[in-house]
Amino acid sequence: MSTANVDVSSLPTTTFSHRSLAWWGTLGFMVVEGTTLFIAVVAYFYLSRNYQTWPPEHIVQPSLLWPTVQVVLLLASLVPTVLADRAAYRIDLVKLRQWLFVTLVFELASVAVRWQEFLSLNVRWDTNAYGSSAWTLVGFHTTLLLADVIETAVLIALLFSKRRLDRHYSDATDVTFYWYFLVATWIPIYVIVYLGPRFM
Amino acid sequence: MTETSVSSRVDPAADERLHQELERTWHERTGFWGWLTSVDHKSIGKRYIVTAFAFFILGGLNAALMRAQLARPENTLVGPDLYNQLFSVHGTTMMFLFAVPMMTAMGIYFVPLMVGARNIAYPRLNAYGYYVYLIGGILLYAGLFTNTGPEAGWFNYVPLAGPEFSPGKRSDVYAQTVTFTEIAAIIGAVEIIVTIFKHRAPGMSLGRMPLFVWAQLVTAFMILFAMPWVATASLMLAMDRLIATHFFNPAEGGDTLLWQHLFWFFGHPEVYIIFVPALGMVSQIVSAATRREIFGYPVMVLALVMTGFLGFGLWVHHMFATGVPQLGQSFFTAASMMIAIPSGVQIFCWIATIWAARPRFTVPFLFVLGFVVLFIIGGFTGVMIASVSYDQQVHDTYFIVAHLHYVLLGGAVTPLFGAFYFWFPKITGRMLSEALGRCHFALFFLGVNLTFFPMHQLGLEGMTRRVYTYLAETGWGDLNLLATIGAATIALSVALFLVNVARSLAAGEVSGDNPWDGETLDWGTSSPPPSYNFLHIPVVQGRSALWSRTPDKPVVTGLRTDMHEVLVTTLMDARPDSRHLHPRSTVMPLLAALATGVTFITLIFTPWGLPVGGALMTAAFVAWAWPDRESYEEQRLQESS
Repeated sequence: MSTANVDVSSLPTTTFSHRSLAWWGTLGFMVVEGTTLFIAVVAYFYLSRNYQTWPPEHIVQPSLLWPTVQVVLLLASLVPTVLADRAAYRIDLVKLRQWLFVTLVFELASVAVRWQEFLSLNVRWDTNAYGSSAWTLVGFHTTLLLADVIETAVLIALLFSKRRLDRHYSDATDVTFYWYFLVATWIPIYVIVYLGPRFM
Repeated sequence: MTETSVSSRVDPAADERLHQELERTWHERTGFWGWLTSVDHKSIGKRYIVTAFAFFILGGLNAALMRAQLARPENTLVGPDLYNQLFSVHGTTMMFLFAVPMMTAMGIYFVPLMVGARNIAYPRLNAYGYYVYLIGGILLYAGLFTNTGPEAGWFNYVPLAGPEFSPGKRSDVYAQTVTFTEIAAIIGAVEIIVTIFKHRAPGMSLGRMPLFVWAQLVTAFMILFAMPWVATASLMLAMDRLIATHFFNPAEGGDTLLWQHLFWFFGHPEVYIIFVPALGMVSQIVSAATRREIFGYPVMVLALVMTGFLGFGLWVHHMFATGVPQLGQSFFTAASMMIAIPSGVQIFCWIATIWAARPRFTVPFLFVLGFVVLFIIGGFTGVMIASVSYDQQVHDTYFIVAHLHYVLLGGAVTPLFGAFYFWFPKITGRMLSEALGRCHFALFFLGVNLTFFPMHQLGLEGMTRRVYTYLAETGWGDLNLLATIGAATIALSVALFLVNVARSLAAGEVSGDNPWDGETLDWGTSSPPPSYNFLHIPVVQGRSALWSRTPDKPVVTGLRTDMHEVLVTTLMDARPDSRHLHPRSTVMPLLAALATGVTFITLIFTPWGLPVGGALMTAAFVAWAWPDRESYEEQRLQESS
């Protein structure tokens, strides 16, 4: 069957979500990082079988104050993130800059609280396997958190610079997409690492 | 160009002008600087192939030394400590530095060509992945040459690889080599998936994709879900050794079997990550040799996908000797036998394709026939050791060495050699010698059987793996000598292949665009392909893209020729969706890879590698993300068009 030539000259150059290549790359790395976090959870539970109690004897339960503050902070951060996301889709530069900046403030606050969360584990990474697996689970997430803070900061700088491009609106939605992922993955980690030992 | 080539054939003068424009836009600098800054998938793919083959030779030399040591009882050529490093580095090389990168490399080179794209998705990331892989390979061999090569096998079991039984830095070299190669593999997988999903030529719906592309897609997904397991395991091991965590230390609640589970959850899919692309290669070779579409295309695709899924359900059969619960044993025995089904289905489909055809018995096809024989032998012994009682008898013996080499050399390396003969003309524009190729095939086939078939018997007689010598009274001398003669035969066959390549590069017969009368789009462009891959992006009209083209040969029009503009299409039906700008040559991937190298190599010695390397990597990636003036202006222009 014969087919005509296909003229693509009028197709858009900036697209969002699953139409954008960067979105697929972000999704791919989420799959890899999500798998990595899942493996750390598997290791955490696998090692728990080696103990009668979890945390092991003479180890204090993790403190709940700062980790709970973190959960509240992360959930609250969704408000500016969603607003930034919508502004990017509307190609509203002023609002995008504004809400992305507020998102960055939340992200930085989250990093500061994260330090307290490590201390809230009440165990060192080299004390025993419990400490190693808990620190690693929180540590993996922290690495991703730091990467996202840098990414958000660079994107904000680009949005304020003379090198701003239309495709940066799409990039902004990828940054917010990634932040949703970090919030979504933190909730189960909070439940497992900080609440879980109270029920195990 | 041949009759089936991808060209509008409307106006030769206009085509020539278009060629000049595209060449000006897509051509990269030559020389060393051009090499360092290239982002062309063909350039990166070629160097990946050459580098992976160089590691194949280095891994082969390790094996040759081991075979020389074992040629006679109580030999003293190699001592036990060096022997430990040799078998560990041999396995690590073949799995992490040769097999996976080579299969990825074939995807990096051919997937964009087969789907009708101008380049791979994320070209800079592609270059970064190559450099990270290269750094990992150099680290492993720097370790071996400084007496710091890994010593606990390619699967690096703890506690043997832990801080207590492997002091020094040998196991750290293993852990970071794995980290580098896994980063590269994951990056390659993401690029290949996105290229397949979003860069297919219009009309190439999922149901029209070549089987090689399907195989690469399944493999890429397997990499995405399998590689993080070994990367995480090796990170845990590195932490146990560097900052005294206790993941694998039973004295503090750690568990040595945790390593085995994490490793084999990666390790078994790894076999299929190597094997599935080879299946795709076989399909393309059979199709060209018979000039027929492969029989049962939907079944073939389902078999590939099923293999991908089942590959994740078998890992415990590597751990039958660790005391697995009985229900677990039954489950994993059944799963291990079940995976023979999709493999069998594919073999029957190939036989059905060949059945009523008159295949041309060229060298690639001979390697396919060799593959079928060797892989069936490896498959049969696989089904045997899927049975727990049999596995307990032969576990850790040379029977397993025989099995895994039949599967890997037969199932992956043999079709890979066929693929080299098949696609060498596309990459270089020259044919490899058929006569030398036939000698290569005969010697290789003979060598594999001479080397590995006797090992079945040696294993049954009780010869364990990884022993550096044995006593004459065991009676294993003759079969070991035979295996060593076989190894020399394989080495001779590979040397012959290298001679063939060198001879062809210098004075080989010019191949033309489509010497095998292949069906896929890669054969529709010139050999070697131009910098821009296709003069016109084709519109695909059927499953066999070239064979189904109508005389008017519809193409895509309206893409900019003055910049790296590429077409993005929809996932299912490949309908044109948007225009995207790919980056030009840049040194940033190399700098980012060097920063990554500094980070992980420093982490072998001190935890300070993390903050220092982290800062370096941040600087490199921020510079990467920030558009320079030239690329900014180009993007601005594209967005306004």
